[in-house]
Amino acid sequence: MSKQPCFHCNEPVLTGSQFITQIDGVDQVMCCPGCQAVSQAIVDAGLLSYYKYRTEPGSRQTALIPESLNHFSAYDLPEVQQDFVQERDGREEVTLSIDGITCAACAWLIEHKLQKLDGVERIQVNSTTQRAFIRWQPALVKLSYILSAIGSIGYNAAPFQLDDQEVISKRNSRRFLLRLGLAGFATMQVMMFALALYAGYFTDLETEFRDYFRWVSMIFAAPVVFYSAQPFYFSAIRAILSGKLNMDVSVSIAICGAYIASCVATIQGTGEVYFESVSMFTFFLLLGRYFEQNARQKASVSSSNLHKLVPLTASLVTAQGIEEVPAKKLQVGDIILVSPGDVVAADGKIVEGISGINESMLTGEQLPISKAPGAEVFAGTINLEQPIRVEVTAIGQDQLVAEIIRLQELASNAKPAIALTADKLARYFSATILTIAAMTYVVWRQFAPEDAFWVTLSVLVATCPCALALATPTAVTCATGLFTRLGIISRNGSVFEKLPKIKTVVFDKTGTLTCGSFSFGDIKLFEGLEKSRALAIASALEQGSLHPIARLFARIPTKLEVTRQHHLVGAGVEGIIEGIRYLIGSAEYLKVPSEMIFPGQWVYLGTRNNVLAAFEIQDKLRDDAKETVAALKAKHIELQIASGDTSAHLQQVASTLGITKVNGGLKPKGKLELVESLRSNNTLVAMFGDGINDAPVLAGADLSVAMGSGSAIAKNSADLILLGDHLHRFVEAMNIAVKTNQIIRQNLAWALGYNMLILPLAVTGHVVPYIAAIGMSASSLIVVGNSLRLLRLKP
Amino acid sequence: MSIIYILIPIAMLFVLIAVGVFFWAVRTEQFDDLDRQGASILFEEETPKAPLSGKSSSNNNEADKR
Repeated sequence: MSKQPCFHCNEPVLTGSQFITQIDGVDQVMCCPGCQAVSQAIVDAGLLSYYKYRTEPGSRQTALIPESLNHFSAYDLPEVQQDFVQERDGREEVTLSIDGITCAACAWLIEHKLQKLDGVERIQVNSTTQRAFIRWQPALVKLSYILSAIGSIGYNAAPFQLDDQEVISKRNSRRFLLRLGLAGFATMQVMMFALALYAGYFTDLETEFRDYFRWVSMIFAAPVVFYSAQPFYFSAIRAILSGKLNMDVSVSIAICGAYIASCVATIQGTGEVYFESVSMFTFFLLLGRYFEQNARQKASVSSSNLHKLVPLTASLVTAQGIEEVPAKKLQVGDIILVSPGDVVAADGKIVEGISGINESMLTGEQLPISKAPGAEVFAGTINLEQPIRVEVTAIGQDQLVAEIIRLQELASNAKPAIALTADKLARYFSATILTIAAMTYVVWRQFAPEDAFWVTLSVLVATCPCALALATPTAVTCATGLFTRLGIISRNGSVFEKLPKIKTVVFDKTGTLTCGSFSFGDIKLFEGLEKSRALAIASALEQGSLHPIARLFARIPTKLEVTRQHHLVGAGVEGIIEGIRYLIGSAEYLKVPSEMIFPGQWVYLGTRNNVLAAFEIQDKLRDDAKETVAALKAKHIELQIASGDTSAHLQQVASTLGITKVNGGLKPKGKLELVESLRSNNTLVAMFGDGINDAPVLAGADLSVAMGSGSAIAKNSADLILLGDHLHRFVEAMNIAVKTNQIIRQNLAWALGYNMLILPLAVTGHVVPYIAAIGMSASSLIVVGNSLRLLRLKP
Repeated sequence: MSIIYILIPIAMLFVLIAVGVFFWAVRTEQFDDLDRQGASILFEEETPKAPLSGKSSSNNNEADKR
């Protein structure tokens, strides 16, 4: 009984676990064989520095690595590789997405592990994007071997599908950084000369030097105006062409106007110069944009990483025998062999064999469905019991999965974009400023024509939208950072605005509220059989089956020998143990008398004549499902369940959690219709889901949340992804979002307040350049500082 | 005071060089992964000669190279 956390992943070590690795001469306790294997591999490879310098614990190794090692061989097929491997002068290159990188030490660990492999020429791991670039010699080492080497030290690597968005945002981010850096350098220089010029207001600076400083400032401000500020001009032109106003219109007018006017003043040696205001203005605005861009890029990187490319291969039956081909090479009419445990590679009809098929990816239900020749099977479902031969009836876009994806796209296109408060505000703000500036000009023309232009210009410059432009992005960036710390990926900035407004939450059942895997409930024993004996017999009978319930039994260690084992698909197993014939399976299979049939899901163990034991099988609720539901109820949010399931289990889950509105037996389309009908009452609806069948409804809900263990396509249409599947994190996310909104409102209030204060001064012509510059930087810094308060929140 | 006619252009030249260096650094992806590069100084380039786990790493290289 040790209270020490696992040395590798810091998770609590459960009692009775005896996994120990000797690290640096000290026996360290691990929580599971996975962590033990990984830490041993790290020690054996002499990579102890990892433990010395890591800043975060490793990721938990619950999935036992040896099992997954044999899945990599498909990555060696040339047809599969052509999607993601580039060949360059006899070397092959690939970029992999790696799960489980928690800090820089992980990156170092992977690099050093792989550098030792023969044939790996270059390996570069980026810990921010969680990716690795690898170049290797195909003659010396295979890609599958590289992948399994990464697997052996506890990381899961796979090629991924680059998001289109990511390609664009990466280019943009780099450009933004260049523009921002340049604006920063130039602003510093211009500000120095500006200080000298300010001094000239209070002492007398000789005109000769004043003009010299102005010229120098003009030269320094030029790249800022002509290069750094470009995005604002383009955005302004686009807005005007589409007949709208946005913040960039007034910004562009201010920047260009102030620069041109200052140039004129410099050349003629009269009036005021605003070079430092222009540069700082651009710098602060770019800073806000850069924050926004960065948050967006992080989101697109993580969504690309979630989009793993898993090569689907099929065993094609040909005249010469069985041939392994990539699934996309299949033709309609081909016959494929699907072994137990394999994924069906294409939609088709069974032509030979009877088996149970796990269709959980389509329906969310874990229990296999028995299918006989003539029955339809769908791509992506898993064959569990017997080998079957399938005639391909549909490929590519005609398959059921493709249809669900189309439904998802339709739903996401129909989703109305939420107009963000900041954008609405910006529009009004711009219109107001431009109107006031125009009026100022007209009025001053009447009284002092020679000053009219300068005063109007000072109105445009002094009413700085910098603070306004920084208000939302800085707060959202800080909140996104908090979310990341909590293990929540937010995929767009609007979630913070939507989260506090959620009125209805709809949950999928299997895999969301429940763990999506089976466990034992109640166990009833008859005829004086002991529990351990009953479980040992059951386990012996169920060895070697892939049925999820059978796997549950088979995990129990047993020493009993079974002979003449016989499986009956969809019913049960019989076999002889120590001379007695035992049966395990459904009530019908054992012909259980009706008084022994209990509500719920039960598996019976017995002999030919009597029942010896009954095991209740349930899909356990997630640990935090109850408290999450309670917390959401406390926030007066209406809760519903939408599931493909029709069984009693659904009602059981609902009554345990205290959710009254339950919708069962829903297909993907039905779920979508349910959410759409809820949305028509003008309430914001959040949807939780995990499977392919949830993808359309996730795309259609106002706010969608996917479980980290869910399917890639569900995660692709989600706004929030809960890594580690902690439902309760959603409640925390809601609280953070409320705080974020408060901060944004404070920022906006401050920015508007500052503008109200400075506007009368500017209109009456009292704002000289140094006041404009001081006000601008002070207001921006206050906004940034206020946003940083978010990071002090204790998640 | 007229010295500034020489000094300021020199300062401008320095700024130009700094901007050039910054652009080069961005273009060569040096800002792409800030956590990683900051920590890289901590790690030995070579594997430790005799790690204290009682197993020397050189023996195990054979296993890696299969």
